[in-house]
Order: sequence, then structure tokens, then C-alpha cells
Amino acid sequence: MNEKLRKKLIQAGADTDGALERFMGNEGLYTRFARGFREDGNYDALLKAMEAGDVKAAFNAAHTLKGVTGNLSFNRLYEKVSEVVEPLRREDLEEAGKKLPALTDAYEELIRVLEEWEA
Amino acid sequence: MDINKDFDRTGNTPDTLLIVDDDAMNRAILREIFQGSYQIEEAANGQEGLERLLECRERICAVLLDVVMPVMNGLELLQEIKKREELAPIPVFLITADAAGDTLRRAYELGVMDVIGKPVTPYVVRRRVDSVVELFLSRKKMSDLVEFQKQELIDREMEILNLNKGMVEALATAIEFRSGESGEHVRRISHITRYMLGKTPLGDGIPKEMLEHITLAAVMHDVGKIAISDAILNKPGRLTAEEYEIMKQHTVLGAALLEKIPQLRNHKVYKYACDIARHHHERWDGKGYPDGLKGEEISVWSQVVALADVYDALVSERVYKKAFDCDTAVRMIRNGECGVFNPEMLEYFEEAEKDLRVFYS
Repeated sequence: MNEKLRKKLIQAGADTDGALERFMGNEGLYTRFARGFREDGNYDALLKAMEAGDVKAAFNAAHTLKGVTGNLSFNRLYEKVSEVVEPLRREDLEEAGKKLPALTDAYEELIRVLEEWEA
Repeated sequence: MDINKDFDRTGNTPDTLLIVDDDAMNRAILREIFQGSYQIEEAANGQEGLERLLECRERICAVLLDVVMPVMNGLELLQEIKKREELAPIPVFLITADAAGDTLRRAYELGVMDVIGKPVTPYVVRRRVDSVVELFLSRKKMSDLVEFQKQELIDREMEILNLNKGMVEALATAIEFRSGESGEHVRRISHITRYMLGKTPLGDGIPKEMLEHITLAAVMHDVGKIAISDAILNKPGRLTAEEYEIMKQHTVLGAALLEKIPQLRNHKVYKYACDIARHHHERWDGKGYPDGLKGEEISVWSQVVALADVYDALVSERVYKKAFDCDTAVRMIRNGECGVFNPEMLEYFEEAEKDLRVFYS
């Protein structure tokens, strides 16, 4: 990973060192999964479910998204997702909806950086 | 005697971690963390996990389990494991984001060793798993060793038992040898006794172990003959009334002799040996000796030995007679020419007789 990319990731709220530690220093493995997050469908699934008012589906998507971002140490996004997961767990769609914009912001910022990441 | 000498301490040590999680990233991370020290098996849901677990049971030293999975979730898998005794000792770790509340309590109830939060920190999860696995492996090794030693002891016991049998047989043979018998006679009586009590309804209700004791006891039925003089024992002609009385004593003397052996008295064989030695010349109609026991008063094993003794005498050559052929022997017995026996026993005997001939080939 080049230094420029690393800085951008950190700025987007990712803890690259922490993530690499979790992946036991295996940079190849980490890179594969981090870049792979671009194809992760849980964010879209979350939005769709929220729109349709489907609490259960929304919770599942958010919960899974939380796990993935946690593993990859995308910490800022992880926090924003957590703030949506908890209301959804309580089946409080309204409260969850309030927290959604912050989640979207964090997500989009991160995705922009990830899309620059060359193989 | 180093009883541990052949115990293989290093072989068969379980060395495999089973990772059960539907998320490929989670599996990859855990694999990466543990593959330095363990073999890894993976499963993507509880059902697959159960299958892998049953397949590789002997190799697996720990299971890392996620909770939320399709088909069968983590708690359901835990339940399945709990049902199966053979899987129960394997330590299971729950690796979950929801490391709190109800799930936790339920998991501990189902016997989970530890609950570790996601996202994992490598050195934490390593430590938690490693220390438990170490305990599990050492406990397993210890119980394997105990099993091994138990088996060794059983094997030694069998050896000693066989040695004893051999010595008893040798002694009985030596005694019978004086009257021109061979070890074959003693062994045949034993085989016939075992057959009659093991393979005909005569022996109903006699468990296997008891049958073994009776069979061994039968070998000693004529030890009393050691106290009878050569002149009488090997007289080719008919015995006088006096000589006969002396000869009859071998029953009582046999029982007395056996009583004098202290080790024998504590052995389960003892009561059968004494009984058979003393009563193998009793008759069904009460006209036998030494006690004149009648009918069912005579134990079934004494009856069988009595019959076997007569049959064997008839079909073998002796000092005082030539050998009869088997059919003649059976006829003579049936006709009461050689003593009076339990009619029911005679029936089973006649049925079995052809099978008994194999002992004479």
C-alpha cells in the first residue's frame, strides 16, 4: 500500500495499522478484502430496507455491515453503522432513520478512496 | 516393569481448529490468526459445522463458532453438540459481535468455554483459545494413558489366568498319568462339560464367567486319585469289595485335598471344584457315592462331569477294557449299563453326542 493511499484511508476514518494487525500482517489478504468492500451489498440493502420500512431486513443488513467494517477497522463508518444498528435492534425505524445520513456520509467518503485503490 | 513403555504420547494428538462462520472474511481472519499452530477446518453454517465435527472428531481440539448463521445457527449447533456424548469434551468458543445479554447466558448454559467479541484482536483470541486447548489436550492425554494402562492390566490378568489354567491342567494330568490316563482325558472331560453346559439347555442360566469356572473345576475331578495306591489304581482285573471301598474314597479325598490349598479356597473355582470332585460318582437314583445324593440334589455340573467321565471311559482304551465305538457307548449309557443318569440330561447328551466326537479326532 502506498503512503498516499494510506493517508487517504486514515483520513476517511480507517485504522490501517489496526486492520493489518488483525490480518496478522498479511497485506495481500487485507488488500483483497478491503478492496472487496466496494462490492459489499449490505449498504445498499440497508437503504432499500429502510425505504421499504422493513425493520428486520434493515437490522440484518446493518448488523452485517457493522461486522465487516469492524473487521476492516473502517472505524468512523463502524461507529456510524453502530448508531443505526442499535435503534433497529429496538425496532425503532424513526430513530434509525435519523442516524442514516451520517452513515451515508462516512460510507461515501470511504468508497471514494477505495475506488482509487489499484490492485 | 514400565507399563508406559509402548504408550504413544505424541501420536493421535488432536491438532485441528474448526471455524464455523458464514462470513468468509471472518473465517479468513481466524484462519490467518491460528494457522501457524493448528490445522484448520472451516464450515459456513451450523449444519456444515456439525458434519465436519462428526467427520473429524478425533482431530479437533477446539471449535470457533459464530452465532448468526443460516441453516443452523451457533446456539443450535451448541445444542446438537450437547446431545452427543462423544463431542462433549471438545472446547467451543463463541466468536460474536453480540457478546452480551441473553445469547451469552444461553451459550454458557450450553457449555461454551468462552465468549470472544468481534472484531477480534489476534493476541487476545490466541491466548484465550491456546490456554484452554492446552488444558484439553493434557486432560485427554491423561485419560488416554489411563485407558491404555487399564487395558494393559486386563491383558496381564488374562495372562495370569491362562497360566493358572495351564498349571491346574498339568497337575491333574500328572495325577491321572498314574492310572495310565493322559492329559487328553482331562481336557476332554473339560471340553465335554463346557459343551453340555454351554450349548444345551442344561446350562440355561449359567453365565459365561461361571461356565469358565466350572470348566476349570471339571479338570480337577479326579485329583483324589493321588491318594489311592498304584496296586488298586492300575489293577487290570476286577476290584475286591475292600479295594472298591478304597477306590471310592478318591471323591472325598479329592475334596479334602482341594480344601487344603489356601489360594484355591478364595477362588471362584473352588466351590465347583470341591463339589465336582466329591460328587462326580453320585447317581440319579441315589445309589451313588459318597453321599448318596438323589436327583436334583446333585448339582448339574457334577452330573455332567459324571456322564462325561463315563462316556470318555467307554470310548477310550483302559487298563481293564478295550475301547468301545461311539454308538455302542451311547447305547450302553442309555440302557443304564453304566450308571443311572438324569433322563433329560441323557436326551440332550444324545443330541449333542455327534458334536462331541470332534474332541476325539
